[in-house]
Amino acid sequence: MIDQLRQRARELLETGQAAVVIGYGERAGDGRPVPLFVTQPAETARLVFTPACVDNLARYLTRKDVQALGRPALVATPPTIKAVAVLVQENQLAADGLVLIGVCCEAPGTAGTACALLAGATLAELEAEVAGRLRGQELTEAALARVAALEAQSADERWAFWEAEFARCIRCYACRQACPLCYCEQCIVEKNQPQWVPSSPHPLGNTLFHFYRAFHLAGRCVLCDACAEACPMDIPLGLLNRKLAREVRDNFAYEAGYDHTAPPAMASYRSSDQEAFIR
Amino acid sequence: MATLLTSANLTALVGRALSQQYRVVGPRRDGELTLLAPLAAAEQLNLGVLMARNSIKEFFFPRCELLFHYTLGRGGVALREPADFPRTLIVGSRACDAASLERLDRLFGWDYRDSFYFKRREASTVVTVVCDRCDEACFCSSVGLDPRSAAGSDVLLVPLAAGGTYRVAAVTAKGEALLAEWADLFTAGEPGPERVAAPPVRFDQARAREFLADNFEHPLWQEQFRACLGCGTCTYLCPVCHCFDIVDEGSLAGGARLKNWDSCQFALFTRHTSGHNPRPGQDARWRQRLRHKFLYYPDRFGAAACVGCGRCERACPVGIGIREPLQALAGGAESVGGARRD
Repeated sequence: MIDQLRQRARELLETGQAAVVIGYGERAGDGRPVPLFVTQPAETARLVFTPACVDNLARYLTRKDVQALGRPALVATPPTIKAVAVLVQENQLAADGLVLIGVCCEAPGTAGTACALLAGATLAELEAEVAGRLRGQELTEAALARVAALEAQSADERWAFWEAEFARCIRCYACRQACPLCYCEQCIVEKNQPQWVPSSPHPLGNTLFHFYRAFHLAGRCVLCDACAEACPMDIPLGLLNRKLAREVRDNFAYEAGYDHTAPPAMASYRSSDQEAFIR
Repeated sequence: MATLLTSANLTALVGRALSQQYRVVGPRRDGELTLLAPLAAAEQLNLGVLMARNSIKEFFFPRCELLFHYTLGRGGVALREPADFPRTLIVGSRACDAASLERLDRLFGWDYRDSFYFKRREASTVVTVVCDRCDEACFCSSVGLDPRSAAGSDVLLVPLAAGGTYRVAAVTAKGEALLAEWADLFTAGEPGPERVAAPPVRFDQARAREFLADNFEHPLWQEQFRACLGCGTCTYLCPVCHCFDIVDEGSLAGGARLKNWDSCQFALFTRHTSGHNPRPGQDARWRQRLRHKFLYYPDRFGAAACVGCGRCERACPVGIGIREPLQALAGGAESVGGARRD
């Protein structure tokens, strides 16, 4: 599989279909997967793909310095493909400019599980393959068990839970920087005229930042957990995103990342949208 | 003959300090993580990990520090400064953590003496536990330190190979005072062999400095750091990084002025009010970070602003850290491309 991946990457660079292949390499010393930007065909030998390759590389597609390298080819796991779909929906990327090398593994994060290239070449083909694998699997009862457990608690208990979690937040913004859908050139927390969200890492500031971020991702988050993985303080950010994703699914019959041609849930209106909250 | 302290008595010492209203800070389990935090009970002390995710920096240079409260009224502005600098015992820092205090002392006492920082320094006693283990990310020995370095510590506890006991060394007068205060917990005895682990030297710091001084422009800055997300994880977990932002929170009636951690890795860190940003990309920001730590700081203060703890590498969401880049550029300009491949 890795030989095919490297061969494909090589072909793309040699034929000029891509100026840079964004994939995974290995850190010198311990082999930890790291994002890799390959511009020379000979360097494609450094590309790897293992179950440990979970960073969402779509993050780099909206970076100006990466865009300056030229047309990218992206080694894309299913969550990465979903993120690309949302970026196209939101006019951050053009679907026809994309070169995607779809990859997947049986159990991401679990060493030794099999990895393979996806068959699709276009975004639409890859979306279909990804939907076949993931749709209906991500917001199951089992996946939402921790969310449900929190919802069963009283408001005071839930507040105490999140207060304890956010007390560890150091406002490093690793969550935001790792997220492929946090691409604002200036984040709301960086505006200080007025200061909508306190930049200080105190309980109020931290809580507001994480709630704002979760709401800004409602209907957009592809549940890749890049944020939770990036967090150096192990804050379970995925719980907030999954809760809101479930709300969007249940209220608007919409899950982000499966169809780049669909109107985004939070930016469109259907007459079937429930309006129970204003009755 | 040496002074010895059993693990049980170390726990007892922590218990006594707590009962005497010391704030005791030590590594403590928090879910899967171990974090340096105030202990509520002596049993919470967890010395079974290499080091906590965070460093002791935040107990001297807080994440969010109150400078003063202000109220505005007919009489003008009334300020209320914080008075609370609790007597603190830090148990379980590592030599790298403690050494960072010595480096921060030089900065915070340089052209303007940060009185809050020094009040916290005066109010704190640092008991360092010498490392009996290290990992791939550690590189204290590459920056002129080792697990037994005494810089910044008041007491060193050296684990003995026999287990369950430390050899005790008082480094400062404060350390002597601590030993005297709870003298009954310490015994005299033959220490026997010690269990100390140091990482191998991974790069030549002088060669790294040379590269930094000579290569302001170099393709490495873009190539090596393109994957960097531009978050603040490395700078915030670093025991020596010390940039800060001062903000006012409140209204015309009253509020507070706060000093918060800031990071040179944020995109807006150097943006001017004109809109111009002299460090517009991660390449320029990383160049500055490395030059600050390994060129400007040593030139001005005599030591690198890095203690080789490895926290940046362990926590970096994309696995960059500072060790690997330094190995690459200490390998010299010629070997920069090849150094990443092992």
